[in-house]
Amino acid sequence: MSQSIDAMLAMLATSTREVFETMATPLDAKPPRSGGVMAGPCGVLGIIAFAGERSGSVSFYSSEAAAVKVTSAMTGIPEAEVNGEMPDAIGEITNMIAGTFRTRMAAAGTRWAISTPSVTIGWQLRTKHYGTVHTGLCEFTMPGGEPLFVELVLTEE
Amino acid sequence: MRFLVVDDSAMMRRMIIKALNGVGHDDVKEAGNGKEGLDALAQGGIDMILTDWNMPQMSGLEFVKALRALDGTRTTPVLMVTTNVSPDDLAEAKTAGISDYVSKPFTSDVLKEKIEKVLRG
Repeated sequence: MSQSIDAMLAMLATSTREVFETMATPLDAKPPRSGGVMAGPCGVLGIIAFAGERSGSVSFYSSEAAAVKVTSAMTGIPEAEVNGEMPDAIGEITNMIAGTFRTRMAAAGTRWAISTPSVTIGWQLRTKHYGTVHTGLCEFTMPGGEPLFVELVLTEE
Repeated sequence: MRFLVVDDSAMMRRMIIKALNGVGHDDVKEAGNGKEGLDALAQGGIDMILTDWNMPQMSGLEFVKALRALDGTRTTPVLMVTTNVSPDDLAEAKTAGISDYVSKPFTSDVLKEKIEKVLRG
């Protein structure tokens, strides 16, 4: 692997902002944190696994209310009328984030295959990583102030 | 002119159909994966196909290879709408038989331009 995790996190943050700006709404970003993990509870989790020179995952986390706002911004459906579209929208936004990140990594010389997205919706969801992994967390804020998180997990090289 | 939109995401199908409607194309059929896409093509009358790449059951790439092997769809324009846009990906998709591609994320203007470009041949 030629990229440091800091460089990869910068690519992931740029990819996320690009996807949201084109498909939903502009985001404010905090500096990505190498070693960071999604520690707090959330209501919606979209995840895509990748494999190749390294294996790991890209995960999108938000509250259910924020996921509804994202869905509304993507589809034009009023927030009050969003229902079954939300899991599909979060799966697709996760797919676009991971896919755009994958394309940037390929341009930098690292090739991955990625899975189709899976979305989990619940209450106070938390994740815990077992084994030896490297992590990084990108934190964003939507125009209304709702936080969104994108986490990168890489298995030990 | 009749379009076939193949994507496992109902929301993406809705967004693509909305973009097609916005440029005056109202005759659109839908399929949720490559297998359903082949079933729709078997009924005939499709003039252009827009397909995702990463789908369960039958991927967009397998779908394009399969439809290019059929007499009725050997030359039907195919636009792939995908996040898989590295040079290696695009070479593989072109070998399979796509006419052009749209990179996700996309705006409706970009989608419109690509559809018009493919239709011009």
